[in-house]
Parts: sequence; C-alpha cells; structure tokens
Amino acid sequence: MNKVVLQAQGLTKKFGSLTAVDELSLDVYQGEVFGLLGPNGAGKTTSISMICGLLEPDAGSVSIHGLPVHGGQVEAFTRVGVCPQETILWEKLTCLEQLEFIGEMYGVSRKVARQRGEELLALLGLSEKRDKLSATLSGGMKRRLNVALALVHDPEILVLDEPEAGLDPQSRVLVREYIRSLAKKKTIILTTHNMDEAERLADRVAIIDHGVLLVVDTPEELKRTIGEGDVLELEIKEISPEQAMAAIEEALPDLSLRSEQSAAWQSPPPQEADRFVVENAPRDDMVSLRGINIADKLPTIINAIQRAGGQVGEIHLRANTLEDVFIALTGRRLRE
Amino acid sequence: MRFLSVLRKCAREQKRDLWILGLSLAFAPLFVFIYWMFTGGNVTTSYGILVINHDVGITLSDGSNLKSGEEAISAMEVLTFKDGSPILRVKSITDRPAGEKSLRDRDATVLIIIPPDFSQVIAEAQSGETPTTTLEFVGDLTNPYYTVAAVMAITALDSYTVSMTSEYRAVELLETALGGSAARTEFEIYIPGLFVFAVILIMFQAAMMVARDIESGTLQRLKITRLTAFEYLSGTTTWLVLIAVVTILVTFATAAAFGFRSQGALWIAILVGIITSLSIIGVGMIVASFSKTVSQAFVIANFPFGFFMFLSGAAFPVPMGTLFTIAGRDISIVDILPPTHAVAALNKVFTLGVGLDGVIYELCALSLLSVIYFAIGVWLFRRMHLKA
Ligand SMILES: Nc1ncnc2c1ncn2[C@@H]1O[C@H](COP(=O)(O)OP(=O)(O)OP(=O)(O)O)[C@@H](O)[C@H]1O
Ligand SMILES: [Mg+2]
Repeated sequence: MNKVVLQAQGLTKKFGSLTAVDELSLDVYQGEVFGLLGPNGAGKTTSISMICGLLEPDAGSVSIHGLPVHGGQVEAFTRVGVCPQETILWEKLTCLEQLEFIGEMYGVSRKVARQRGEELLALLGLSEKRDKLSATLSGGMKRRLNVALALVHDPEILVLDEPEAGLDPQSRVLVREYIRSLAKKKTIILTTHNMDEAERLADRVAIIDHGVLLVVDTPEELKRTIGEGDVLELEIKEISPEQAMAAIEEALPDLSLRSEQSAAWQSPPPQEADRFVVENAPRDDMVSLRGINIADKLPTIINAIQRAGGQVGEIHLRANTLEDVFIALTGRRLRE
Repeated sequence: MRFLSVLRKCAREQKRDLWILGLSLAFAPLFVFIYWMFTGGNVTTSYGILVINHDVGITLSDGSNLKSGEEAISAMEVLTFKDGSPILRVKSITDRPAGEKSLRDRDATVLIIIPPDFSQVIAEAQSGETPTTTLEFVGDLTNPYYTVAAVMAITALDSYTVSMTSEYRAVELLETALGGSAARTEFEIYIPGLFVFAVILIMFQAAMMVARDIESGTLQRLKITRLTAFEYLSGTTTWLVLIAVVTILVTFATAAAFGFRSQGALWIAILVGIITSLSIIGVGMIVASFSKTVSQAFVIANFPFGFFMFLSGAAFPVPMGTLFTIAGRDISIVDILPPTHAVAALNKVFTLGVGLDGVIYELCALSLLSVIYFAIGVWLFRRMHLKA
C-alpha cells in the first residue's frame, strides 16, 4: 500500500456566490505524479492554492505527512515547491540571483542555493542566461525559470500549475523529461490542459469541473471505463457494408445504432462496457463501430463478416484517449 | 538570516534602477542649489525693524544718565552677517498706527515697543532688585520673514539686557533662550527643512519598492516560503536607511559646498536623519499595505507627503494648538508627524549649535514614532498581503 503524503479533506472555497472548489478530497501518494485536470475555471488553481497554503479554505483541511498546512506549521511548507500558473519573477534580478534568493527564503544556505540554481539552469536549458535579468528572457524561457524557482530548495512535493503552457515542443519535451526524471524521487501534483501530457506523465489523474471532483484514477482505467470507447473502422470487401453490419449486429446483441450523433455529444452517457454504437463510416466501403474495449471483440466481428461471405481489408483502430474521457465527463460546451 | 537576503535583493534590484536612485539622491541637493540661487547664497537680506522708544531714561546715583532704550537699539544695529552687512535695519518711529501700517505693507518686519520704565528696571536690576517689564513685539505672523527677524532682534536685545543685568532677566521677551542664532544667512536657515525633505522623499522609494513585489506577484512566492512581514519589511527598511544616510550626506555636502556651516556636530544631524528616515519608511510601509500596484503606492504616498511637507514645519511654520502636556512639553497634533521633530532637532543642531543632550526629546519622539509606524506597517502588511 502506498503512503499518503498529502491529504486534502472537504476543501471548499467560495468567491461570493461562486463555489470555486466544492468539498474536494484527495489523497496523493508518495512518489506519484498526480494530474489535476479540468476545463478553464474548474477550480484547479484555487485547489492548488489551498493545498500549498496560499489561500485559506472556507472549509476543509490539507495535511502534509499529517501536518496541517493551514494553521502555522512552517515545516509543512518547506517540503512543497510551487510553480504558479502565472510566470512570477523578479524582473530586476538575474536568473541565478532569483534562484539564490528564493532558495535562501526557504532556508537553504546561499552556497547551496547557488549551486542548485546553477544545476537547475543547466537542466532547464538556461545556463546561457544565468546572469541575464529575467525581464530580458523570452516567454518560454521565463516559464522554464518559473519551474526552476519551485525546485531550488529541493522540495519533497512539487506542485506545478500548467508547467507546459507557452512552451515550444523542444522546451515541452525538456520540461516533461525533467518532470519525469523527478517523478521517482518526488511527489508531483500538476495541472494541465494538455491531455497528452497528463497521459504520459501522470500515474493518476483527477478530473474536476465546477469545483467538484468527478473521478480519480489511472489514465488507463479511465480510458477503459469512461468515454465513448475505441473507434474501429473496417474496410468491407465482397459484400456490402450493410450486409456486413447486419452480420455484426447478429453477432453482437448489445450493439445499438446511434440515433443522432450530435445529441450524443451533448449529453454523453458514461458508457457501460460491451455497449457499442455504429458510427458514420468515413468511406462508402467501410463500417465504423465505437465502444469501450471494442478491440477485444475484433475476432468475433471478423468471424461474423466472413460467415456472411465477406472479407475484411484495412482495419483502423483509434483508441479511446484521455481527451475523450475528459470530454465525456465535462461536456463540449465552452467555459466562459 | 532571511532579512539579510531581502536586503541583498533590494540592493540588487536598486542596482538595475540606478537612474531612479540617482534621481532621488540628487533631488534634495538640487533643491539646496536652487535655494542657494534664489537666496543669493551668501548675499544676505536685512530685515526692517521699527522701534517706538518710550523709554524715559534715568539718572543714576553717580550722576550719569542711563538710556537703555537707545543702547538696546544700538545693540540691534551692530548685528551683522559674516560679510559685515547689517542684519537688521532699525528705524525709530513715534506713531504706532503708522508703524503697523508699514508692517502690513511689509515695508518693515517687526515693530518693537520699548516701555517707559525700561532704563529704570535695568537700573533696579543692577542694584539687586527683581523688577520686570515687557518688550512688545508686533508683527505680521504670516510674513515668513517675521520669525527670522524677531529671532535676530530678540537675540540682540536679550544679550544686551543680560550683559547689563548680569544674567538676571529683567526684561521679558516674547521668546527667550534663542541665543546663538545670529549670523545665519537666509540660505542656511532653509537647510534643515531641505534635509527633512530629502528624508521624506525616501517614503516614496519605500512604498514603491514594496509595491513592486506586490504588483508583480513575487510577494506570493515569498508568502509560500512563509517569510514573515517583519523579516521582509526590516530587510527592505535596512536598505532604505542606507539610502537615507547617503542622501543626507550628499545633501549636506552640497549645502556645505555652497557655504552652509552647521553650528552643532554633524553626526547628531545624521543620527536625527536616520531615526527620521526609519519612521518615514514605516509610513511608507503603511502606504504599501494599502497598495496593489506601484502607481497606487505613488498616489497614496502623496497624502502623508502632503502632511509631512506642509504641517510639520518643514516648509513653513505651522501654528498648532496644544492637545495635552507631557513633562512640561506641549504636545500638539503635528507631533505625530516625524518631520515636526526632525525640523526642530535639526534647527537646534544646525542653527543653535545644540549638543546631543539638547535634542534628546526629539530623538525620543522620533524613535517612538518609528516604532509605532513600523509596527503598524508590519501589522497592516501581514493583514493585507501575507494572510492566506
Ligand atoms: N480571487 C478570486 N476572486 C474571485 N473569483 C475567483 C478568484 N480566483 C478564482 N476565482 C474564480 O474561481 C473559479 C475557479 O478558478 P481557478 O483559477 O481555480 O480555475 P482553473 O481551474 O485554474 O482554470 P484555468 O484552467 O483557466 O487556469 C473561476 O470561476 C474563477 O473566476
Ligand atoms: Mg488555473
């Protein structure tokens, strides 16, 4: 059983009539990368601010190794490093100077802070800018320095609010690799809008919307259980796609025809396993099916088509993604 | 020591804003220069004094005549600036309404009325008795030259009567014990105010330096490190006090270069300046507590600035009623303004040559105000910006 290092219980924050975070409870385990996902305004930053002690919750509590974060336990803080969503730098200090300064603020000696600062600059590709004022860095470089500032005091828990925002692909890979390299030694909580990033990095993800925690699980488990499932597209030879479809329907009793696609998008029913829908095929000679773990049924389907006298040509399988899970849970509507 | 790190951070940030530092350092010396030009430097103004001499004189036991009224007038006439030009232009008149008219027209600055028994009182005092009489000073108090001229005249009259009566003060003057202020140029008289002005300007630096961390969000970062308001503000304050010291030294050097001479020890003036800057910076921290941005801090800082400049006596004398009295001192509402005490102390040191013991009251008042303002600043800052 994994050790819980950070525990949030019933965290609630209201801004006037708006409940930004509503009774959020989370356990974060030692050494894991925990992804916090949610649409704009879902309450991720607010949650993180409460977790790292920047914001006083209206209700609920956070503890790190059992030490309460709110209520003056200084010890709990030095174990956490925070990379805020916004780039926050001392414009009039050089890259190294601010790393040194923030390190000292966390109680690290100047010498050690300096040394760690230099290491971090090297790791994040900023060595050349060591003695340049942060105001003169490019946007992406500032973001990288923003990440570095969370790490000088070698925190045990790292909280990153959208660390990849505004980075070019090279920097994104760099930062991601760096986070991954830390993952073994540290506990990492990160928010992102990049599902790809979350899928690659996170051991577990939580999806929140309107301040409410919807699910927490591994990306694999979420993909296996939530969303509209994988999409299977088959090229049908010898017989018509309609004939093939009839054969498949016979073989898969749970198959149902999607009546209206757009309606389905708007109110996505969390699908149960083994329920499949027929999609509009991309070509005239194809059939398209969608369902959770449909790939498991591939032999049955091919068998049915062959028994009906047909042959299967190309096979396309597009796996269910975390993005599909996300959209299924939070809908397609834009957040204002 | 996190406060030292904050101090170093402030110094580094300032290093990148050298021109701002230069500008604020140059400000007060620039004004010293401007005042020097406007007052003509060593060129001195002489003040018009009108005298109505009612003194009837007295024949002493040895048969000689004592005309103290006339002698007092001569005592005023012999006062000169260092360059030998007279400080007071004394004119005898007989008609009081006419004299008052020329005061109103500012043809003259002070009207002095010598009582009929002036010689007699002095003579009696010489023979050991203790009579008194009163010299009346009439003047337009809104005339900025009045105070200066009155001080000069009193100095002369007082030293005359004291010399005649060997320390027994037979004549009651409006303000006593202001001796030693003779021979100041007009330029020199403005210098204490300018020193205080130089220190007051630090308040803007203080408020804006802190507001920069608020505006850019970097304070949030510091908040996560659990930096305390005290550590943060004391680190910043220490840096600003260093700037204040440099400002004071530069201002003094400039003034000295233009002919300013302090009667008292310079280190006492610097001590006054440092303690004043502490309380001023405390006010700057209060300003920062109410600010979210640098420009807000600037606008808000103008309020205390106005009070400091116009109500403390830094720019001109303020007549203020007494609120209460502590240990024989009248405390008025302007005593909560640090510059009030700073101006008083610097005047004593620069003009009257007073030593440390002479400004103990002001130093205590300034220290107390520093502690109070700084404590309020820390408290407010924690509430407004460091609370989760
Ligand atoms: N200081 C505040 N005052 C008032 N409302 C706030 C404040 N901070 C956040 N909110 C509101 O709380 C809600 C959640 O905001 P939050 O920043 O936590 O969202 P988020 O999930 O981080 O979004 P994003 O992905 O855009 O960063 C939003 O509706 C936001 O407008
Ligand atoms: Mg956010």
